[in-house]
Amino acid sequence: MLEGLDSFEKKSTRNCVFISLVFEKMEYLVLLQNGLVVLLTIAFSWKLITYMWGSLKMEKEPMKVLVTGAAGQIGYAIAPMIARGIMLGPDQPVILHLLDIAPAAEALKGVKMELLDAAFPLLKEVHATTDVTEACKDVNIAIMLGGFPRKEGMERKDMMSKNVPIYKEQASALEEHAASDCKVLVVANPANTNALILKEFAPSIPEKNITCLTRLDHNRALSQIAERLKVYVTDVKNVIIWGNHSSSQYPDANHATVATTNGERPVKELDTNDHWLKNEFINTVQQRGAAIIKARKASSALSAASAACDHMHDWVLGTPKGTWVSMGVYSDGSYEIPKDIIYSFPVKCEKGKWSIVKGLKIDEFSRAKMDATAKDLIDEKEVAHSCLN
Amino acid sequence: MGLRWISLACGGLSGGVTGSAMGQIGYAIAPMIARGIMLGPDQPVILHLLDIAPAAEALKGVKMELLDAAFPLLKEVHATTDVTEACKDVNIAIMLGGFPRKEGMERKDMMSKNVPIYKEQASALEEHAASDCKVLVVANPANTNALILKEFAPSIPEKNITCLTRLDHNRALSQIAERLKVYVTDVKNVIIWGNHSSSQYPDANHATVATTNGERPVKELDTNDHWLKNEFINTVQQRGAAIIKARKASSALSAASAACDHMHDWVLGTPKGTWVSMGVYSDGSYEIPKDIIYSFPVKCEKGKWSIVKGLKIDEFSRAKMDATAKDLIDEKEVAHSCLN
Repeated sequence: MLEGLDSFEKKSTRNCVFISLVFEKMEYLVLLQNGLVVLLTIAFSWKLITYMWGSLKMEKEPMKVLVTGAAGQIGYAIAPMIARGIMLGPDQPVILHLLDIAPAAEALKGVKMELLDAAFPLLKEVHATTDVTEACKDVNIAIMLGGFPRKEGMERKDMMSKNVPIYKEQASALEEHAASDCKVLVVANPANTNALILKEFAPSIPEKNITCLTRLDHNRALSQIAERLKVYVTDVKNVIIWGNHSSSQYPDANHATVATTNGERPVKELDTNDHWLKNEFINTVQQRGAAIIKARKASSALSAASAACDHMHDWVLGTPKGTWVSMGVYSDGSYEIPKDIIYSFPVKCEKGKWSIVKGLKIDEFSRAKMDATAKDLIDEKEVAHSCLN
Repeated sequence: MGLRWISLACGGLSGGVTGSAMGQIGYAIAPMIARGIMLGPDQPVILHLLDIAPAAEALKGVKMELLDAAFPLLKEVHATTDVTEACKDVNIAIMLGGFPRKEGMERKDMMSKNVPIYKEQASALEEHAASDCKVLVVANPANTNALILKEFAPSIPEKNITCLTRLDHNRALSQIAERLKVYVTDVKNVIIWGNHSSSQYPDANHATVATTNGERPVKELDTNDHWLKNEFINTVQQRGAAIIKARKASSALSAASAACDHMHDWVLGTPKGTWVSMGVYSDGSYEIPKDIIYSFPVKCEKGKWSIVKGLKIDEFSRAKMDATAKDLIDEKEVAHSCLN
């Protein structure tokens, strides 16, 4: 096109072409600019919308939590913990169902009054009742504190004969009225066997949903190691409580670790005094309940309530990565433990389900201890069954 | 986790006498503090637990349980019967220890037991606590115990000595919520005026409820003026006795929770547009006498409380507010007579 033009015309044409090209470029630029502005506006509006949506803060549906034996000491400690979101998280509204027996009705009413007086933001409703059906209605979580602990001089069979009928009755009520996926935590002693009775008489509750509390022993074990190694309790993890929540339990630090400046080290490496871990440590944790009673003239309520919150919290919301906890769960035969008992294992939790940590090496010392506490549970089971006849 | 650790002295943890109410509050409040309810979920704490010698074993038991609970935020626990050791460098002091009034006891008898306790603890705090220590007196008679403490700890800023009326405040919110059939979180801005005793004045004149039509005054929604001026006031004033009747023991759970709320809002601030009730050193606001610890409506920001000013006070309220002020002046006179 340029060939037929003389040099000036060529130059000016070239210049014109250059200018028109620049103008075309500028059109593109303008387009780009406009496009950018549009994009930014969309992004900004989106941010505004999501911010407004977030600040509307659609509240979660409340979860219904049953506490049996709620007029007692552990109940009095655990109720405000649940109401403050310690158990289920700071954004989970709760409805509390408090159950106790008729002689405790006035005291139970007092607990309800105090829970209302505390004006807890997460506590949507409180129902205090002596009617087990009403108490169990649609509950998602059941914390069983009610029962008959062993008194001094009491035979095992006597204690069992008091508890078996209680847990048989509550099993039926839960099976019939609780939410189908209800998670159950039995705290009242003998915890493992009470949980087993409950499981046997509530066959339609998934067996994995019935557990008992050994988290208290687990936390106590962490604390003993922390004190021994002079570290913070948050730096210790992965102890195991095997077996029965009784003096036959086996607190096992073989796989426990401590966070140090050199990363996570096994406790056994830092405490080369094997003697302490195999003797004093085990005894102290096993007998801690009695030590508390001696000092306080009353059993552990504060720490038991706190451990129950930890147990349920981790079950529902998951254990931290790389960390396991101890829970009394229905034995599936792992680690050569008999089936058909509620036995405390190391477990991880994810998406509302627990699973036993497999593949841990078990030495001879541990094997003997684990078997002893299993035998203890088999014995308890036999005594419990004999009470049913 | 913040580097700053808060030390709390919690007096009267196990109570001087077995079955003591204050021991119950201590047992309830300790796990709440250790879980971050009082100072926030990211604030590590060091607990200093203090009690008298007869309660040393029980106090040790509380410490053992606190360790057994493996609380992530609880860095250290010190249990002692030595008031100096307990007060060392504390940033926050929750005073639960004292002698509440027993049935048949004269006011003067009760006062004569409490004055020496609060005189001694005032000296210890003044000498050993952190200079900006925030003090909350819970043990009854809370207002006058706090006043004694203030008088004998002149170098503690007077604004740092308070007493608990948040329990009454929360009870009042709850009563209104129940009456109007709303959630307690939808009610705010009640006021507890005066003494944490049966002379307190629970005032709903400025309280509001969140509704679908925005925030409405409680007085508008509950046109039955009679309830607000009679039953509501009586119920809140007498609630402590009602709890004792049902539980055969005083309120521990709700008192502990209210103490956490009081200190939480003081340290971390009240929500926008919301005030709370705190027993504070009177500056003469609302024509209340100075030189007493009187419960006022307050807002909190940056670790400081300030009285909400300019609220309209009607005749009915005026009379009630003056009556509870007089009650406090009387208590002050009795307390001073015990010092002679």
